[in-house]
Amino acid sequence: MKTKRIASFGALRLGVISTLALALVITPLGVGMAASTPSFGKSCPTEGTSTGTSSKSLQCTKNSSGKLTWVYVRLGSSTLSPVPALSAPDGTIEFWHWRAEDKIVLQSIIDKFEAANPGTYINQVIMPSGDYTNTAYAKIRTNPKAAIFATFRGSQFAQFAKGDMMTDLNSQRYTKRNVVANGLVAGQYGGKQLGIPYQYLFNNPVYNTAIFAKEKWALPTNLTTLLSWCKTAKAAGYTPLAWSGGFRPNAGQILNSMLMNSAPDYATLQNRIEAIDTGSADLTSPWFTDMANKYKKMADAGCFPENATGVTDAAALNLFATGKAAVLPTGSFSMGAVKAINPDMSGKMNLFSLITTDDKPQYVGIHNNTFILSVNKNATRTNQKIANAFISYLVTGSIAGIYANATSQHVNVLDVNYTNVDLLNTSAWQAKKTLLAPRFLWLNQGVRDLVEDALIAIVGGKPVDATLADFSKQIKQKLSA
Amino acid sequence: MYKVLRTLALTTFAIAIVIPTAIVALGSFKSDVEVYSKPLALPTNWSFRNYNRLISDGGIFTNFKNSVIVTSFSVVLTLILASMAAFAISRMTNVTGRVLFGLFALGLAIPGQVNIIPIYLLFQRLHLTNSLLGLVLINIATTLPISIFILTSFFRELPKEMFEVSAIDGAGPFQIYRSIALPLSRPAMGATSIFLFVISWNDLLYPLLLVTQSDKKTLPLALLDYRGEYATSFSMIFTAVMVASIPMVVMYLFMQRSFIAGLTAGAVKG
Amino acid sequence: MQKKKSRPDHRVYYWMILPAIFIYAALYLYPAISNLRYSLTRWDGIGTPKFVGLHNFTNMLTNDDLFFKVLGNNVRFSLLVVTLQTAFALFFAIFLVKNTRTTIFLRTLYFFPTILSSVSVAMIWLFLYDPNFGAINVGLKKFGLNSFALNWLGSENSALYAIAFTQIWFHTGQMMVIYIAGLQQIPLELYEAAEVDGASKWQQFKSVTWPMALPTTAVVIAYTTIQSFRAFDLVYAMTQGGPNNSSSILATLIYLTAFNEFRLGYAAAQSILMVITIVILTLVQRRVIRTKYGV
Repeated sequence: MKTKRIASFGALRLGVISTLALALVITPLGVGMAASTPSFGKSCPTEGTSTGTSSKSLQCTKNSSGKLTWVYVRLGSSTLSPVPALSAPDGTIEFWHWRAEDKIVLQSIIDKFEAANPGTYINQVIMPSGDYTNTAYAKIRTNPKAAIFATFRGSQFAQFAKGDMMTDLNSQRYTKRNVVANGLVAGQYGGKQLGIPYQYLFNNPVYNTAIFAKEKWALPTNLTTLLSWCKTAKAAGYTPLAWSGGFRPNAGQILNSMLMNSAPDYATLQNRIEAIDTGSADLTSPWFTDMANKYKKMADAGCFPENATGVTDAAALNLFATGKAAVLPTGSFSMGAVKAINPDMSGKMNLFSLITTDDKPQYVGIHNNTFILSVNKNATRTNQKIANAFISYLVTGSIAGIYANATSQHVNVLDVNYTNVDLLNTSAWQAKKTLLAPRFLWLNQGVRDLVEDALIAIVGGKPVDATLADFSKQIKQKLSA
Repeated sequence: MYKVLRTLALTTFAIAIVIPTAIVALGSFKSDVEVYSKPLALPTNWSFRNYNRLISDGGIFTNFKNSVIVTSFSVVLTLILASMAAFAISRMTNVTGRVLFGLFALGLAIPGQVNIIPIYLLFQRLHLTNSLLGLVLINIATTLPISIFILTSFFRELPKEMFEVSAIDGAGPFQIYRSIALPLSRPAMGATSIFLFVISWNDLLYPLLLVTQSDKKTLPLALLDYRGEYATSFSMIFTAVMVASIPMVVMYLFMQRSFIAGLTAGAVKG
Repeated sequence: MQKKKSRPDHRVYYWMILPAIFIYAALYLYPAISNLRYSLTRWDGIGTPKFVGLHNFTNMLTNDDLFFKVLGNNVRFSLLVVTLQTAFALFFAIFLVKNTRTTIFLRTLYFFPTILSSVSVAMIWLFLYDPNFGAINVGLKKFGLNSFALNWLGSENSALYAIAFTQIWFHTGQMMVIYIAGLQQIPLELYEAAEVDGASKWQQFKSVTWPMALPTTAVVIAYTTIQSFRAFDLVYAMTQGGPNNSSSILATLIYLTAFNEFRLGYAAAQSILMVITIVILTLVQRRVIRTKYGV
């Protein structure tokens, strides 16, 4: 009791000071990552190596003249130091999410949190992601115990936001001081910060660095080299891209890369996707047809596995983990699963730029800020306080580091020391020019499913124009119902 | 000719069941790489790694216990309620009997998954979510139609004279049900209980809807979790299937005798 | 009035039905009726349902190719499963009706898939059907039957049938047990008499087994039909209805319409058309069985 009062007094004082401080440094807030990377100057041997993502960490990156040098990590947040976790009142709440594979590490974090806050209890409620998408909304809405929950960026977050289910976290100090500023955007809705996107992941293909080294392949840098690489890799007996056409959620990840350089700029891309999403344009538009034709070209060049439309997520992962496939076109989040199947893959993976244009690419990869943590608006005040305290705990650097290193997943939190070799290898990507995953700009799940199904059908050998016309009709019917 | 056909057909189906079972059983001792490369071969070295991992994860025994509790209560209670109702319906000669039968038959046609939002809201209001009792109740409600459907047609087959004689002896409808209809319907009840058992044991939809606490989850729901957790590892999924099924298989083999005996006893008398 | 005089038993009957009807009405019929109400609305599950009259139904009948495609899938799936599963179950039951060591062993084996959970069955077959690693294609290729090694679940032409086969594998044993119970009720004298007359096995089947087993067949068919309309777990766990909805059945379509697209009113309307379809099919079946075989 006593300690809590003291802590909250301290917090109040700190709050006042930090508000003043914040006003002073408001300008540097939200500065882009890559643009203003200050250089430490010394040259370094391997691109991508880093010493962490705290403000003093160094990363090995190519500079403008193409030389590898150590640079300071800058993640576009304030230069204020992060705040410690809040303390929680007594009580029991539920934490709803879909990451069954994170159950154990999250439980260990919860145990620590409970030890630091005696009398406070958090129970994880985990559902498989498909069922989470389908039923979580109805269940959480009628369950005030579910004080903290996670949502996907895109349709699900929008749905919860529309349902007025989340409290505004804008005034929380950890929001401004512990979280990577660029990453906050995915949790904003109607001018409010309705959630903290916890994960910073790359929805980017992953490649087997050992195979590329062994076969002495250069990484493809445009559409032409991509197609010729596919032919080379296939001739050498590999499956170039272990793409799981039988499992839409993973098959659709590649769409991010395909869209990445398909429009002159992000705003145009966003408008075009919204037009399809709302029915004011259809898949037969030149822009979409052009992209679909690239799928076709890739299929013809043998980029995809045999019987691609029947390859499950498990089979695709296995192809990659056992060294039969060179690239796994899902995302950085798959690296943990790859290592679970074949521990030898540790340290042999890095992110692959899937560039499908012969013009100068605007982006070299995709990132996403997801696993958006929110406080339930319908929970009691006390339970909301517990939830908020737990979020503040999760966004402290040391705790986020436990989560990140155990799950092979970057987090959207500052001052995290990545020790996991695969995270270190891909940390440099936080400083590259990557696009916020455009696939999640489709807010109508039914439309997005049809879009992805059309592309799967094309890879499966269906003619491009007829397929796009057929699916456009399906979308039209769905939207006019 | 008949013999050849018979042997051929029986062997084919037996193989169709044995091979997948073997793949699962062997696969649970293999690494993932081996599951894919040599699904039917014996494991190069028998490893209990998958089992250790699954058991240390905990929970699957609780899930199993929950499934047993929910299934057995659901089956027994449904059989009691349905056999009473079916007997009454089969004996009623007026329109009401037929209307009631039609009402239950309609329940056969309504697909469960479309009612899940109203059901969820209702159970929430009744505080029956995260409760094994809630699962038992919804199981009873959803399996009454099929049970009444089967049992009514069996009761209708029974010779009417038998009931009329007892009625003359002064037995009331309930006594007739208990002392004549029930013993006679043992094969039908046996068959129905298999139906019910299969439905309750396999039910995924309602636990998915009504249960979120891990200590109240039933096996199918837990298996779905394992699928989420190990989506990428068939050796783990196979291990989960094994752990979930072995106690059931043992119980099934054990009960098989009385089960067959029950069926044949009915046949001899009939 | 008349009821009381001639049928005093009826009151007892009502009491015997009461507990069943109470649970059934409260927990099944009432939600179903709420659903009927939702079918006349546009509702995303969040706000208040907006009344739209019969719009959902007219749209479904005039502007929804997908619904008819899936309805067609479902009818094909059901016909296939009902026909093959019933035939297999009956034949296996005939083969295994006598109680010997072997038959009891085989019955136990055949019933075995039934005790697996549907999620397990889906996972097992997902693995078996894998086009590149799966035991089925690996086996076929080993015997040189490469052209039979299809992309089972990945092709629009085969996905539905592949799942139907899994459904048959899953439930034949269960129906066989029902048949065995029915066949064992047939008096042995009938077979003895037929054998004395010199009837072949096939003639015995035609003149004794088939007519005597008809009531059981009626139950098996009715149940299999409904079961096939509900094969939700398998489709959902194996393909989610894909590719391109070629393996969608009504149950998965409704579930996804409601919970993937959050069109709960429309899903409610779909489910009502599904109920009507099943009722019609069941009535037709009963009519056919009745007029053809006089049961």
